[in-house]
Amino acid sequence: MMERRWNLLTGEWVMVSAFTQARPTNPTNFCPLCPGGDEFEGDYDLSSFDNRFPSMKLDAPAVESKGIYKKERSNGKCEVVVYTVEHESAMSQMPTHQIEKLIQMWTDRYLDLSQNRLIKYVYIFENRGKEVGATLPHPHGQLYAFPFIPKRIEAKLQALSQYYDENGRCAVCDIIENELGDKERIIYENESFIALVPFYARWPYEIHIYPKRHVSTLVELTNIERYHLSKTLKVVTMKYDLLFKQAFPYMMMLFQVPVNDVSYSHAFHFHIEFNPVKRDKDKIKWMASVETGTWAFINPKIPEEAAKELRNVEVEI
Amino acid sequence: MYILNLSEVRKVAGYRQIENGEVLLEVSRIPSGFKITGDINGVIDDVELFSFPRPDRVLVNNWQSWGPTRVIDKGFRLDFPQELIQKFGFSASIMPEIYFNLLLSDYFVASDSFIIGALKSTIGHVYFKIDDERISVHLRYFGRKFENWTAIEPIVVLNLGTDVGLPYYAQLVAKENNVNFSSQNPVGWSSWYHYYLDFDYEKMMLDLERSKNLKLGYEVFQIDDAWEVDIGDWVPNEKFPSLSEIAKKIAEYGYTPGIWLAPFSISETSSVYKEHKEWLVRDENGIPIVAYENWNKKIYALDTTHPEALEWLKNLFISMKESGFDYFKIDFLFAGAIQGKRYLPVSPIEAYQSGLRAIRSAVGNSFILGCGAPLLPSVGLVDGMRIGADTAPFWNASGPDIGYPNAYFAIRNVITRSFMNNVFWWNDPDCLMLRIEDTQLNDKQRELYTLVSVMLDNMVIESDKLSCKIDLNLWDLVKRYKKYGRRVFKVTGIMDGKYKIGSCGVNGCDVIVIDNLANAEYSVIFDKPRVELVKDVEKRDDGRTFNYYTERHLEGGESE
Repeated sequence: MMERRWNLLTGEWVMVSAFTQARPTNPTNFCPLCPGGDEFEGDYDLSSFDNRFPSMKLDAPAVESKGIYKKERSNGKCEVVVYTVEHESAMSQMPTHQIEKLIQMWTDRYLDLSQNRLIKYVYIFENRGKEVGATLPHPHGQLYAFPFIPKRIEAKLQALSQYYDENGRCAVCDIIENELGDKERIIYENESFIALVPFYARWPYEIHIYPKRHVSTLVELTNIERYHLSKTLKVVTMKYDLLFKQAFPYMMMLFQVPVNDVSYSHAFHFHIEFNPVKRDKDKIKWMASVETGTWAFINPKIPEEAAKELRNVEVEI
Repeated sequence: MYILNLSEVRKVAGYRQIENGEVLLEVSRIPSGFKITGDINGVIDDVELFSFPRPDRVLVNNWQSWGPTRVIDKGFRLDFPQELIQKFGFSASIMPEIYFNLLLSDYFVASDSFIIGALKSTIGHVYFKIDDERISVHLRYFGRKFENWTAIEPIVVLNLGTDVGLPYYAQLVAKENNVNFSSQNPVGWSSWYHYYLDFDYEKMMLDLERSKNLKLGYEVFQIDDAWEVDIGDWVPNEKFPSLSEIAKKIAEYGYTPGIWLAPFSISETSSVYKEHKEWLVRDENGIPIVAYENWNKKIYALDTTHPEALEWLKNLFISMKESGFDYFKIDFLFAGAIQGKRYLPVSPIEAYQSGLRAIRSAVGNSFILGCGAPLLPSVGLVDGMRIGADTAPFWNASGPDIGYPNAYFAIRNVITRSFMNNVFWWNDPDCLMLRIEDTQLNDKQRELYTLVSVMLDNMVIESDKLSCKIDLNLWDLVKRYKKYGRRVFKVTGIMDGKYKIGSCGVNGCDVIVIDNLANAEYSVIFDKPRVELVKDVEKRDDGRTFNYYTERHLEGGESE
C-alpha cells in the first residue's frame, strides 16, 4: 500500500507506505552504498537515486476516497543522496570541494524535480546517527519531492509572508541584520553566510545557516556563494563533532520555496536548519509528548549559551 | 465606485443593481493584498467594479500575444495608424469599438506600488480604462445572459510593485487555473523568418540535411505558413507532398515534426468559407464578421460553438496528429474570441476556450504553441505561448508599438512578460535569427536577443536558411545554456526600462544589465564556474532512476 490520507483533526497529509517497513537497519556486514553493495556495482563520485523503500512514487497507485475519509495518490519521489564513495567519511570530514559538488548536485535535483508539475515541494535533508533514525552510516542524505506543501512549510510561508506584509521586508533579512549587530548568537560567519543558534531555537544546540543575501533557493546562489556555503556546512558539522568529541547526531534540513505553486519568494529566505538531538554528551533531548502533541518545544539550553559553547569550539578547514 | 486609495478596496464589497442585472462582490484578505470575488446575474455587458487615482507611470498590457506590455506615462496617447485599424480588426483588441479612442489595459495593470489583475478569464474579460486622472476596473461579459448567479472572474489587488509582484501574480493565476503544461521546453527550427511564404518541400529537405551536417541539436523542426492551400483549407498545396510524407521525412532526421496553422481563421477564398458560412461568427444580421485582414484577404472567424465546425476542427487536428505531427504552432488565435453571434449564446471567451479544448483533446500530449492568442483564456490550455510581436530582421525603436513585426518591440515584451514563463506556459520569444547576412540586425542586437531569450529560459526556435552564414558561436551559447538545464531568473527594472536579469542554474548565476534597449546597450557577467559535474542518468530494470554526478576538472582548477 502506498497512499496519503487526510487528517481531519489537523488538516495535514499523512503518508502511508508499507515499503518503508522493509528498510534494512544498520547492517553490520555490508554497506549498500559502497561499490559492490546492493546499489552500486562500481566506483562513483556522487549520486542521487530512487529509494528502494519509498513512501512516495511518481507512479503511485490510484486511490479512492471513501465517505469522510479523503485519500490521494502518493505521487511524489524519494531519493537517496549519496555524498561520496568514501564509507568512513561524513560532512564534517569531507573536503570542502566535495561539499561544493554536493551543493551543485542538490541544485540540479531541485531544478530537475521541479519540472514535474505534480511536485509542489522539494525537501532535502540528512538524518545523521542512529539517534535520529539513520539506518546506514555511509555519508548520505535524502530528498523528498512532495505532491503537496507540508504543514510546517505552510507555517513558515504564512509567518514569513505575514512579516513581509507588516514590515515590507523579509524577516530573515531583518534577523541577519540584528544578529550581525550584537553577534551573541553567531557561531560562524563568512562573506556570504552566517551560522547561528537562533533566538527561537527549539533544540539545545540548534544551528541555522542563512545566506546574507536574500535568495529563496539554492539555485540563486552564485558559485562563490556556493563555495562559502560549503565552508559553512563544513565548519558547523566539525564544531558539532568536536563539541562532545563524538559523531554528533543531527537532522539537517534545507528549506527552499515551493515549486509549481505560490512561492512567496520575496518573503521566503532560503535557510538550513540543523536540529541536533543531544543536550549533553550522553543525554538526548527527546521529541516527547509536549513537542509531538502540541508542536510547542521546551528548550533546556539557553540559545546564547549554546552559541557561546559552539563558537568556542575551534576548527580549522 | 471611486476609492481614494487601494487600501480602501474593501469598500467595493456588497450588492448592486446594474443595467439588466445584478452583482454581488466580496473582498477578502490574501498575503500582500486583497481578492475580489463575487457573482453576477442577468444580462451582463460591462460592469465597472471601481476606480481609483492613477499614478503617473503604469504598466499596461494588451490582450493577445503580439500586443505591447509597456510602461506609459501621463500624457501618453495611443497613436494607432488609421490605415491599419481595419486590417488589424480584433487583433488590436477584443473591444475594437472602444480601443482606438481610449487607453485600455487587459487582464492586469501595474505600477511601482500595486498590481491589479484577473486570476482567470473563462467567461468574462477583465480590463482597465485609463485616463489622466483615474483607472477604472471593468468586467466585460458582452451581453451574455446568466440564468443563475454565476461566479465572476476573481481579481487580486496586490500592494507590491512590478519586480516582486508580477511573479507572485503569475503564480496566483497558475494556481487558480490548475495549470499543467509540457515539461519539455523545446529547441528547434522554423521556416518563417527567412523563407516566409517562399518555402517548399525542396527547401525543407535542404535545410533538414544542412541541420544534420551542422549538428545544431534541434528537437523540433516546424514548417510554417506556406504549405497549405488556403487559410481554412488545411491541406498541402502543390509545393508539398502529403502531410504524412512531410512528417515522416522530418522524423527521419530525428526531429519532432512541427506544423503551423491558424485554426480559427477562415479566409474569404477558402472552400470552408464558400461552403459553410453557417460555421462563421456573424453580426446581428447574420453576416459573417471580418475578424482581420491578412494575406490580402478578409479573414473570418470560426464559430467554435457550432457542433459541425467543432467536429471539423477536432478531425483536422486528429488527422494532423495521425499524419505524424507532434508539435502544433496555432496562430491568429484571437479570431476564436471575437465578438459576434454564435451558435450557442456564450461569451467570446467561452467560445474561444471551447475551440482550444477541442484542439487539446484531439492532439493529446502533443506540444501546442499558441500565437496571436488571448493570453489569460489560454492559460492551462497551451504548452508554449508567443508573448510579443513578430520579430523581424530589423530593430526599430521608433516604429509603431502596435504588435507589428519588429525585433525591438518583440524583445521588449520578452522582458516585460517574462513573469509568465514556466508559470503559465513556456514563453516563446519568437525565433532567433542568427544569420549574419540577409539581415539588418547588427551583432549587438542579435547577441542581446539571444542572451535575453536563453537567460530567461524561454523556448528557442531558430529561423534561418541554413545555407546562409550563421553566427554559430551564438548557437553554441544556446546549446550551452540548454545543457545546463532549467533556470531560475529574476527581472528588475520593468518600470524604469533599465532592465537587469539575474539568471541562475547549475552553472551559477549570470547577470545581464540592459542600460538602453533601444540601442541594444548591455553588459553581461557570466558567473565563473568552480565545479563542473557531468550527469549521467541510468534507468534500472527495477524501474528506479540513478543520477550519477562526476566531476570534470576545469582548466586551471577552481579558484577561491
